[in-house]
Amino acid sequence: MLDPDRIDPDRDDCPTAFKLACNLAGNPDRREVLVGALVVGGLAALATLPPGSAAAAWSEESAARFFEISSLLIPHRLNEAIGKRIGALMSALNPSLSEHVAGLLAIAKQKNAQIVEDFFPDVPEGPLRDTALAIISAWYLGVVSDAPDAEVVALEYALMYGPTSDVMTIPSYAVSGPNGWTANAPPLSDMPKF
Amino acid sequence: MASDSNADVVIVGTGVVGCLVAERALDAGLSVLMLEAGPRVDRWRIVENYRNLPPSLRLFHWDAPYPPKPWAPHLETRRDKESEQYLQLEGPNARAYLQGYVRYAGGATWHWAGLCWRLSPEDMRLNSLYGVGRDWPFGHDVIEPYYTAAEYAIGVCGPSDPALQWPPNAKRSKPYPMGPTPFGPGEHRLTEAAAKIGLINLPAPQARNSGVSYHGRPACCGNNNCFPVCPIAAKYDAATALPKIEAKGGKILANAVVYRIETGEKNSIEAVHYFDPQKSSHRVTARIFVIACNGIETPKLLLLSKDGRNPNGVANSSDQVGRNMMDQPKLTADLELGEPLWTGVGPVQSSSILNTTQGEFRSRYAGAMFRMENFARSPLGAAAALKKGLVGKALDAEIRRLSACTARLSVEHEPLPSPNNRLTLSDKKDWLGINKPNIYYDVGDYVRQSAKDYTVPLLQKLAAELGATNFQLSQEFLNSDHIMGGCIMGSDPATAVVDADCRAHDHHNLFLPGGGAMPSGTASNSTLTMAALALKAADAIADQLKHG
Repeated sequence: MLDPDRIDPDRDDCPTAFKLACNLAGNPDRREVLVGALVVGGLAALATLPPGSAAAAWSEESAARFFEISSLLIPHRLNEAIGKRIGALMSALNPSLSEHVAGLLAIAKQKNAQIVEDFFPDVPEGPLRDTALAIISAWYLGVVSDAPDAEVVALEYALMYGPTSDVMTIPSYAVSGPNGWTANAPPLSDMPKF
Repeated sequence: MASDSNADVVIVGTGVVGCLVAERALDAGLSVLMLEAGPRVDRWRIVENYRNLPPSLRLFHWDAPYPPKPWAPHLETRRDKESEQYLQLEGPNARAYLQGYVRYAGGATWHWAGLCWRLSPEDMRLNSLYGVGRDWPFGHDVIEPYYTAAEYAIGVCGPSDPALQWPPNAKRSKPYPMGPTPFGPGEHRLTEAAAKIGLINLPAPQARNSGVSYHGRPACCGNNNCFPVCPIAAKYDAATALPKIEAKGGKILANAVVYRIETGEKNSIEAVHYFDPQKSSHRVTARIFVIACNGIETPKLLLLSKDGRNPNGVANSSDQVGRNMMDQPKLTADLELGEPLWTGVGPVQSSSILNTTQGEFRSRYAGAMFRMENFARSPLGAAAALKKGLVGKALDAEIRRLSACTARLSVEHEPLPSPNNRLTLSDKKDWLGINKPNIYYDVGDYVRQSAKDYTVPLLQKLAAELGATNFQLSQEFLNSDHIMGGCIMGSDPATAVVDADCRAHDHHNLFLPGGGAMPSGTASNSTLTMAALALKAADAIADQLKHG
């Protein structure tokens, strides 16, 4: 009979498990399903943390500071909703995130930084630099971890597609109409704006 | 009209072969019942599964958006440990038989590339011409009309210029129903580089709607996601045939795992038995039975069905069921290039080099097909650039460079049928208690010598012509997912399982069309040949039921 160990409820094909909502405002909330998944995943991760940990204290203000450091680490237009999701997920994985964000902001302020190149060389090797790179990686890849069951927080808005957006397709999204592509190959130096 | 337990024709499997037989049989006025082991899942759900995979699983893990049901296991690729669970593989090249087929309604065409190469006349006469392998029991002129019918049935686009068509030495009875898709920059550049060393990169005939809609499916818009799933069904997959089959009166039962074929008087097939997900057993009768549930599952089912009349398994008086397992052993080369190539524009594969598949050398070593993978490399470029710890402008520049200036070439070798490459029943059982398939696989000296003396040197030459600054060859032979040979075709019942119509020599009302029947594997993709064999078998089935 049914062996519960062999059945993963998250991988069932029940159509009710997903609800695709249309967001007329054009926000990247198309992946509304992920908001729900995020909450569940975040709570699951929280459950493993000691009470009163930094992750449990992730607040609106933490999210704002996370967005501020993200904007300094990444020279591109960032979406606040995605930032909130990345921050919440990362804080669940890294209890020291708030502390690291504060440390990074302090260095940026000290250097009067406008862009990442202004202050990144001053970020010391170790936890601070690791956290900075993890934040950048999450915005580019759209996941805070690449584990097989990791939750995707951004797909078409993942920044990894930006540097090639003039040529390469975001897989599964159409870039053109029927047979509407060509063999044109732009030079590497023509970096798209994103 | 078919019921849940009886029809003129019962078809086990809902992949491209089963669906083509079903449609043809329905068109001939026969009732059809299809039994599918796996679930029937909507396209949007598979697309969402794909999009919700972490980036590292979106490439090279083509089964990951298709989580198997416990009762219909297939290869899982999300975790290394999962890939060891279902297929039991052994032998010197076990890795080359790690076949990623899908046990869902619609079958493995869910994640095929869609390439539709025909065999050449020589490919069907290996033994006569080169003294290796087996000949087909009929010539290219017999299969040609079925190739054409298959191209129209599934909607194949391709060039109208005969100089760009394959094979070069056999006439087509009709043009392709649609013109070719355009090349992106990468395939354009590969074509130019290959030409400099005598290699002809042909625009591939593809089961993809080119410029127009066809059979109710939309035109390809370059979503660059043919595998693991075409999000818009511009590429033919058998799932798109299921509603058409139902509209014609066919019945489809999903989650029905056939585990036994029952024989009766005169060794005719009386019934098949299936388990539902509650493990209740059901018996289904028909006048004709078609087992088309993939090159591994079909021989497995025949072997599972042994009885007093057929002690080696159904259709197996020749002892060839499960032997001669073939696939094209594949090597890949990952390149870094001095100049941008730019993949990721258009379908994930839309050209191939085939003039390397033919020649007198086939008496000594395997022919091979060369190709460049055209999937978008941006996720790979981004992951590699992030790993370097870069930030800001340097990070973006490196992502752009590593995405544009890298490539994967692959070479797929022609296998020979060997009785030692054998599928047997493992002692290990699946969730329903059915034996898992065990496969011994050795690519053989024919392939190894080709790789050593012919294909790897040529691959290096092609890479150099593309301006490669780094060349990383795969460590071992890999699978191509073209499962062939396990129910091999031939005119002599002593040495073959099925006849020229894919009818079992041992059972007048049992048909085993598909890749398993192919007597030669050749270097090119097998699906169009499987589709042609399906239509040939369907004609024989209709003829047999109408005229006895």
